[in-house]
Amino acid sequence: MKGKIIKNSDNINTKIREILESLISKQIFDAVFVPVRVPTGESFTYLLIKDKNILKDCIPLPPIMSVQGARAFKDLTRLGKLKYKILCVMRPCEIRAMIELSKLRQVTLEDVSFLSLDCPGVYQTADYIIEPEKYDKSFSSLLEKWEPEGLRPNCRVCNHFSNQEINSDLHIGFYDQSLILVPLTKKGEEIFTSLGFESTDDLADWENRKNELLRRREEIRNKTFTELHNQTNGMEGLENFFKGCINCHNCMRVCPICYCRQCFFESTDQLRRESEDYLIRTEKKGGIRFPVDRMLFHLGRMTHMSLSCVGCGVCEDGCPMDIPVGQIFNFIGDEVQKMFEYLPGRDKDEPIPVLTYKEDELHEYEDAQETK
Amino acid sequence: MEEQEFLPRIIGFLCNWCSYAGADLAGVSRLQMPPTLIPIRVMCSSRVDPLFILTALLRGADAVLVAGCHPGDCHYQYGNYYTRRRIALIKKVFDQLGLETDRLRLAWISASEGGRFRDVVTTFTQHIKEKGPNPIKKEIFL
Amino acid sequence: MKALKIAKSPDDAIKELLSSLFENQKIKGVFSLFYDQDYFYGLVTDKELFNKLTPTAPVMPANGGKMLSRLTMIEPPAVPIAVVLKPCELRAFYELSKLEQANLENLIFISFVCAGVLSLKEIKNNIEEKVANANQKQGLRECCQLCENFVPENADLILPLIDGDNKTTIFIKTERGEELLQGIENNLVEEDFDSAKLSSIKEERSRYREKTWQNLKTENLGIPGLIDIFGRCINCHACGRACPICYCNLCYFDSADNDSGPRVYEAELERRGALRAPSGTIFYHIGRMIHVSLSCVGCGMCSDVCPVSIPVGTIFTRVAEETQRLFNYVPGRNLEEKIPISTFEIKEFEELGEA
Repeated sequence: MKGKIIKNSDNINTKIREILESLISKQIFDAVFVPVRVPTGESFTYLLIKDKNILKDCIPLPPIMSVQGARAFKDLTRLGKLKYKILCVMRPCEIRAMIELSKLRQVTLEDVSFLSLDCPGVYQTADYIIEPEKYDKSFSSLLEKWEPEGLRPNCRVCNHFSNQEINSDLHIGFYDQSLILVPLTKKGEEIFTSLGFESTDDLADWENRKNELLRRREEIRNKTFTELHNQTNGMEGLENFFKGCINCHNCMRVCPICYCRQCFFESTDQLRRESEDYLIRTEKKGGIRFPVDRMLFHLGRMTHMSLSCVGCGVCEDGCPMDIPVGQIFNFIGDEVQKMFEYLPGRDKDEPIPVLTYKEDELHEYEDAQETK
Repeated sequence: MEEQEFLPRIIGFLCNWCSYAGADLAGVSRLQMPPTLIPIRVMCSSRVDPLFILTALLRGADAVLVAGCHPGDCHYQYGNYYTRRRIALIKKVFDQLGLETDRLRLAWISASEGGRFRDVVTTFTQHIKEKGPNPIKKEIFL
Repeated sequence: MKALKIAKSPDDAIKELLSSLFENQKIKGVFSLFYDQDYFYGLVTDKELFNKLTPTAPVMPANGGKMLSRLTMIEPPAVPIAVVLKPCELRAFYELSKLEQANLENLIFISFVCAGVLSLKEIKNNIEEKVANANQKQGLRECCQLCENFVPENADLILPLIDGDNKTTIFIKTERGEELLQGIENNLVEEDFDSAKLSSIKEERSRYREKTWQNLKTENLGIPGLIDIFGRCINCHACGRACPICYCNLCYFDSADNDSGPRVYEAELERRGALRAPSGTIFYHIGRMIHVSLSCVGCGMCSDVCPVSIPVGTIFTRVAEETQRLFNYVPGRNLEEKIPISTFEIKEFEELGEA
């Protein structure tokens, strides 16, 4: 693979910012969607920026993911495209969620281009808010070492942290204090050339390191998933796994894929019931828990969205009770996606498996008896 | 462009049965007043959800005027009393959060009070001119 | 006031009382906080499960008033149920009944003087140990430390919980309470609340409140101050979902009414140069204050569930104190009192409408 290596980029955020500024100056894009530190400094938020003066403050690769970029972008284009050419600067899992949301018709990708970044993972938001300086410091060394310690659990097992199977236009990787620019699509190629770059540098070092990291991640991933599988086996295991859940549904509310305005589990059907209904259930078991159907919610949500789960882990960040909900969704997501050979966000023309079918498939799930 | 004289944009929620007709009367009587009010007709001042007011102010309107029938004259008997409570509540919340309460005004203007409509718009505009533009206009982290 | 003395810890005293009420067919079930692997609200009709009751544990996994409203939303239960709730939960339940989300019939209310609950953030790991070693002050919710309404007013039976070890007094506050105990507990004594002790707690709380308000100074916030506090809000609306008063199935701020089309965003972007996403976070918080602050019972669930640790409950309690004072309204105090914005007086706020 060929690309452009920009050497001596010890501050990657500054370097990427320069690229973004030049893209706006050259009017290749009208606006950039990119994270910015909030005024008090302890967290980040996405901004759609048109004004170059504001772009100066952007942090393209922040150490946390307080909001999933796709969920943030959804707000802006749910009712239709903006009249601008927009460049979204995002982590790979955010771009994958964007692609999924576009399949679900919740974002408009027309005139939207993607700049993906190598992602070493993020810290947990709640930790970061307390000691931002400490985590800022360790994040800069993280880009050198790529050690999984202290990261969001899902980031530790992530196997799509770079340009692996990504639907992005331009990718920026980091290696040895250099920025690696790789155009991935025709659109990306155009952006790349307009910046005055040529794909002449050999990227073997970066790719070798990437593959080595991937191998290490896959190892941890397999180990973690096996543990999870043992831990959550059967209803008892699941009950124990979700112990402490207060049923606040916040995992669903921060999830980029859960786009429903009104979740089924918060709908009238679920919340407004006759007291008789509750009393009958109580009589049968001796007692019931309020709010009811805690497990139904988690398992139900799993069936609803796990095919599109990008494993970003933002649900775990949003959980006030620290339930490892992101990990189990990642694990189950992985299993069901394998079943359909589907990878969410890989290709925007690949339909979500439950929205399509093949006549000749999944016979092992049919009744064994021959009907003919 | 910024140097031009500041002309406030005031969103006016006008009750169909009184203030809106009052505004109309002011117009046909050719009363002179600043062109600052953007009228929105509502069927009763109590139709104005507090969130309408909040939306207008946060999106950068310089002021909001809610105008309805004089107490006792509501077309629906008591609507304007509810309005009054809501305005009191909103002003209290604003006050407690250090937001400017005088960018919101409640006025009773009947259908026959064209002159009063002009007075309200004129004095309110003058007041907002003195205050200057709504600082929220340029804020990005809302 | 008539009172019943039981030489047991409060939780055991409540269990004993409930068991004897249950055996005498005065109640058919119990709604309370339970412990079984974790703390949760539950409805129980099997006496065997009464031993899992922990009504006075300093934990609030969800506002009990909100949970009870789920049970009674459409109709009151067909059989009498005894309910043990904390004072703020009971007040929330009363507010919900004013909002037609709850039904008080067939419910017998038991409440207690509440020393506050532990913040969920404090106890989320190792909940059992933290609860067992709960100290009166450490790790309490900020809202509990600010709470001045910790003495229940509307319950049928009230436990002051300040008697010391293995002594519990249950005061009978209402006629219904008296009726309930008739023929079951005969050795009632005549006693009064130890109001001196309660007022000293209240004074302490008021001082803390005063101090907090002095530090907070919400009246000086303005938009910059609000951005400092709510700037990191991720717009997940968890505070609203956990709030006992926010009962709407579909909140306005989640609804299509609150969606803006591309033209609105374009205008905003042109004007401001940049656009925050998710947008409307400050709008959400001020809007919610206008919508629910009059009924805010200050339970602090909102602060506890906030994933980015914004002190939502503290700000709400401050604003609610002022808005409630404006109408001389205390949420949950009295069922006859209407929520101020659902009623009016002919002669009030007359300065507002004048030119």
